[in-house]
Amino acid sequence: MATSKVLNWAKEYGWRHLIALIFTTFAVYPILFVATNSVADFANLTNSKLIPDGFTLKHYKLLSNDPLVPYYKWLFNTYKVAIIAGFFNVFLGTLAAYAFSRLKFKGRRASLLTLVIVQMFPSFLAFVAIYLLFFQISDVAPFMGLGTHIGLILVYLGGSIGFNSWLIKGFMDTISPSLDEAAKVDGATDFQIFRRIIAPLSRPILVVIFVITFIGIYSDFILASIFLKDKNLWTVAVGINTVFVDDFNADWGVIAASSVIAATPIAVLFIFFQKQITGGLTAGSVKG
Amino acid sequence: MIYLSMTLSKILRYIFLAVFNALIVYSIPLTLAYESWFFLSLIVVVGLLVNFVYFTEKFQPMKWILPGMIFMLSFVVFPAVYNTYVSFTNWSTGHILTKTQAINVLEDRVYTPEDQKGIEFEIYILQDSNLNFYYVAYLDVQNILFGKAVTNDEIFSTSLATHEPSLFNNGEFVPPDGFNLLTGKEQVANSSSLQELSLVIDKNTRAQLYKISVFGASTGRLSSTSQLYTYDDVNDSLVNNATNTICPVVKDNFECEGTEIEPGWRVFVGGENYRKLFSSQRIRGPLNVVAKWTFQFALLSVLLSFAVGLFLSMILNKDGLKFQRIYRAIFILPYAIPAFVSALVWKGLLNPDYGLINTWLGPIYDLIDMEPVKWLTTKESARTAVLLVNTWLGFPYMFLITTGALQSIPRELIEAAKVDGANGLQSFWRITFPLLMVSISPLLIGSFAYNFNNFTLIFLLSGGGPPIVGSDVSVGWTDILISFTYKLAISGGRGNLFGLASSVTIIIFALVLIISAISFRYTKRLERVYGNI
Repeated sequence: MATSKVLNWAKEYGWRHLIALIFTTFAVYPILFVATNSVADFANLTNSKLIPDGFTLKHYKLLSNDPLVPYYKWLFNTYKVAIIAGFFNVFLGTLAAYAFSRLKFKGRRASLLTLVIVQMFPSFLAFVAIYLLFFQISDVAPFMGLGTHIGLILVYLGGSIGFNSWLIKGFMDTISPSLDEAAKVDGATDFQIFRRIIAPLSRPILVVIFVITFIGIYSDFILASIFLKDKNLWTVAVGINTVFVDDFNADWGVIAASSVIAATPIAVLFIFFQKQITGGLTAGSVKG
Repeated sequence: MIYLSMTLSKILRYIFLAVFNALIVYSIPLTLAYESWFFLSLIVVVGLLVNFVYFTEKFQPMKWILPGMIFMLSFVVFPAVYNTYVSFTNWSTGHILTKTQAINVLEDRVYTPEDQKGIEFEIYILQDSNLNFYYVAYLDVQNILFGKAVTNDEIFSTSLATHEPSLFNNGEFVPPDGFNLLTGKEQVANSSSLQELSLVIDKNTRAQLYKISVFGASTGRLSSTSQLYTYDDVNDSLVNNATNTICPVVKDNFECEGTEIEPGWRVFVGGENYRKLFSSQRIRGPLNVVAKWTFQFALLSVLLSFAVGLFLSMILNKDGLKFQRIYRAIFILPYAIPAFVSALVWKGLLNPDYGLINTWLGPIYDLIDMEPVKWLTTKESARTAVLLVNTWLGFPYMFLITTGALQSIPRELIEAAKVDGANGLQSFWRITFPLLMVSISPLLIGSFAYNFNNFTLIFLLSGGGPPIVGSDVSVGWTDILISFTYKLAISGGRGNLFGLASSVTIIIFALVLIISAISFRYTKRLERVYGNI
């Protein structure tokens, strides 16, 4: 009896657990490996293992002391650029979305369609032109040319504003128009309706769009790498992938530590907003 | 309250306009100074547009849309148009400048006429802590000149030598603090670099080291310099004043007696870049490899991660299975890590000598008596590694979307099939899978388009390598079109071929357009979008 129960369990569930466990290993092992190695004593790549022999914070300390690897400066730059660009991106996108959702005007459909078509092409595709454009802007206005954060922020701003206003517009459409019609009867202006009714009610989508934009900018490599030449202005993505190229064996501990610091906040954000992010990526672009 | 928000809207608007107009006013003289008529007209048009929209009551909706629109037009739409223009130019290292700029650079070049012997004098050579050379020229008791010694290229940007009589005390030379006086032997050792240097006395006069003396002071000589090239705008040619030859324009350079004078300038070259891509054997070959691999990479990435993701969601889609939520939480982890971190980490894990992967595979290598795989160093191993890592990165997304889609398939359908005698496999292929594809296929096309331009993974994991030997441009076996473009334009080590790179970008644009058209057609998305607005 008992054996047939076990057999039954194995046939129904057991093999599923077995396969799930194999893929759990596949998914998690590299992550755990890096996490433990970042606090492992004597971690060079050759004698690294999953469970380290000794615990140490020396790799993290090294990151803050090495003048050749100004890691925390990179981290600060990344947050600065991603937060500023993300904020203005969402702000300007919200304004545009309001007009598309609430104001009736000629060319509205055509402009919305243009947005969809323009956003088919990732903005970094034209990176050569962006590079040459800012190369020339550097002559005229060096404060926003190549090698500056302002220039990079401007590029990020343009990059996803169309897509974002499209998603926000879709959400605003679901807010009942009776609310703002009532306000209009009471004599409210467009700006008041926007600020007091539509914008507050859209907050959930605005948070999600900000998070998506933030993660996107944080993870960008190509634009940041063509823009930023000065080591002190690099973002984390450029920094760790430029500095750690030669000696993986000796640098492994530091690589692990810098990976943990760079990845953890994004992973936490992502998991927290996972439903909305994948939902927004899938439903939003189709449904509008 | 209403009063307050009215003022707030006004305040915001006026702050924005003030900053904006200040920027416009700041930049107009600059564009004039640099003669960039294009930027000038752009700034004027945008400036007028903004002020018009915000100071009049017409175009209400534009007040909301314009700020975002300006950024999108300037940094998304305009670069795409500009990219097309660049692809029809010769813009590349050696042809970066405009013709006016190139002529300015050339007219700054100088030479020393042979007949200018000049007077001779004692010269002392100093070196500062940064190893820069400084000359002291003792012309006579009245004229003792001191300054940094510079190469020909720096002559116009350097300051003139200064009078420093205090450097001599009773006729004895006393080096100033922080400088080291070079001995004769040290001068001989450095003679090749010293020969290139001169002390700028005035616009046309320079002092140079003439004869090194091992004992006692070396001899310097004054020479006057003349402008090497003069531009003749009537004949549109350059005159070489040293040899008295006329150098006519040949396409995008001046040419003096058959040799091109650097720098040239950028010109419109029509379809030459495209011709080069498709007819130059040493570019066409690699381009073919890259284009083919781009499709293979994108397709295999989607298929592999989809297969793994679907397999897992099928396995977990079972009532009464324990730990389902834990498994689901774990399976999305690789997707939550930024790709630039994963690529770096995997590069470490794949390291052939020390990496985890080869340590793990060690027993297998021993068992089948095989040399350990040199990951990322051969064509096959690099391509396998790139696909392996991309599957790791991509399967969580596929797992998420297939799980969602599976749960939305009505259970009655499957049960009805079972009643009709279908076995598990049949009901999967006949019912579940087709229904799944209806909702999933647009996302698969989206994923294909994403991987088609997955620069971060390729560039950071394999760097596009290993290199394809014998090609004219820097390119590797795992390069996809976008990373190939990047190497052409930015980091190939063979100069910046902006024009050629832009023409590859245009090809990518065309391919993305085709992929999107297929996706739109396949999913009728555009109609749905249109119906929705």
